[in-house]
Amino acid sequence: MLAIEYFEVECPEPLGAAYYKQITNDVLLDHNLLRVINKLHIFIDPKIPIFIAVGTLKKITTIVRVRDFANVNPLGDKITLVISDETYLAPMLKIFWQKYGKDRVEQPDRFTVILYKIEVDAREIEDLVVADPSESLFKDLIYAFRLIAPEGFRVRSEKFSKERFSFVASEDTLIEDLNPLIREKFALMGEKP
Amino acid sequence: MTLVPVTYKGGIYQHDIIIDFIEDLGGYIVQKHIIAAEVVLQCFVPREDIELISRIAKPLFGEVKDSPLVGTEIAVVSMSLEIHHLPHPSCDFAEYARRIGAKTNMVSPARGPGKRISQLSDEERDVINEHDIAVIAFGNFESCIEYKWPALRRGIDVPIIVMGGPDTETLRRIIHPAADGYVGNVGRFMRRGKTEEEIGILDEIVAEVTRVIEKKREEIAKDPLSVSPARLMDLIREHVPAIHDVTSPLPSQCRWRDSGLNCRTIRLPGTYGG
Repeated sequence: MLAIEYFEVECPEPLGAAYYKQITNDVLLDHNLLRVINKLHIFIDPKIPIFIAVGTLKKITTIVRVRDFANVNPLGDKITLVISDETYLAPMLKIFWQKYGKDRVEQPDRFTVILYKIEVDAREIEDLVVADPSESLFKDLIYAFRLIAPEGFRVRSEKFSKERFSFVASEDTLIEDLNPLIREKFALMGEKP
Repeated sequence: MTLVPVTYKGGIYQHDIIIDFIEDLGGYIVQKHIIAAEVVLQCFVPREDIELISRIAKPLFGEVKDSPLVGTEIAVVSMSLEIHHLPHPSCDFAEYARRIGAKTNMVSPARGPGKRISQLSDEERDVINEHDIAVIAFGNFESCIEYKWPALRRGIDVPIIVMGGPDTETLRRIIHPAADGYVGNVGRFMRRGKTEEEIGILDEIVAEVTRVIEKKREEIAKDPLSVSPARLMDLIREHVPAIHDVTSPLPSQCRWRDSGLNCRTIRLPGTYGG
């Protein structure tokens, strides 16, 4: 948990807190979300029952461009792309098809894409933006917290912004004004709400 | 003649010699699995002949191992089939128990998760009661387990083993009415158990299941059955061919909602009554 500045799980049952710390760590690690969370405080009370997760986010500006995962080699009237990481291959092909048409884009094997007769500089291809992982960040975070929270807690209220987030869940109807509770948990992390 | 449960593992070559030999000795083959070039036989053999079978199996590179859970059907009751509870730890145990001869089925109540909202329907209760023993996998909080236990155990008349996050002593203290066995420190976790300690807990569950099953066997032995269940199984297999289509302990009907949210029911082939 080195990447996170502050990480605490608060629970009236100490053993339950230790288990949930481990679960949180495993889920965030599996979904590659440790790099985006700066501080995280989780409060669980199975007697009420309530689950609260509050935290702050790091700024991430990692737009994925073609040059990040492919070598672009122009030769005559064709440009050959050698792919080193397949993760963003599908969105890249989609962009090429839209821009240049399917007849000019060929993929002879898994790691090679060839563009025929296009009048674009190789550098321009390299700079092409393929994906922005921050677009699906909130969706990923909400999914991860749904996994971390006890499964029966299906009544949820979540607020996600660029800098901070709160996720509250319970199996009963939530109280109307959650703000004082959330503020209290932010204060525990030394954050002003 | 006392029949004891064992597992035979060996090559496929000439494995029929072993099968004939076990049957000639008065033993019964409960299950036979052929996996690639390997044969796994789960069988009951006379206690005094285990040595002899090992000797016959030696030239065929076969080995005979004690498997106290052969012929036992275990219901592993997971609170849901969602990623929260599967594949760890419910599948970890189900898979582990299969290796030592038990037949495990995952049973999951449709509304199992939660504390106040957790419930068990009649149909689910009947499915669990079709098994020899139920292992109920709870979560991590003792207050939760204490609260939902009475609702979940109602109507289950097979022995129950409780698995949960709190330690064994705490489980024993909070569970009322009492269960037949308790294994603590194995609640909800979301990674594969690889360490010695984690695998040790699986052994602990197996030991607890074996203890409860042995107790049940002892009780049955006080008033012995007129026919051994293994012999009865063999006879039914021989004389009632329809038995091969029976899906028990699965329910005889399967119900689901189609894309238009209409409730549909099918009767599973070869099932009777239910």
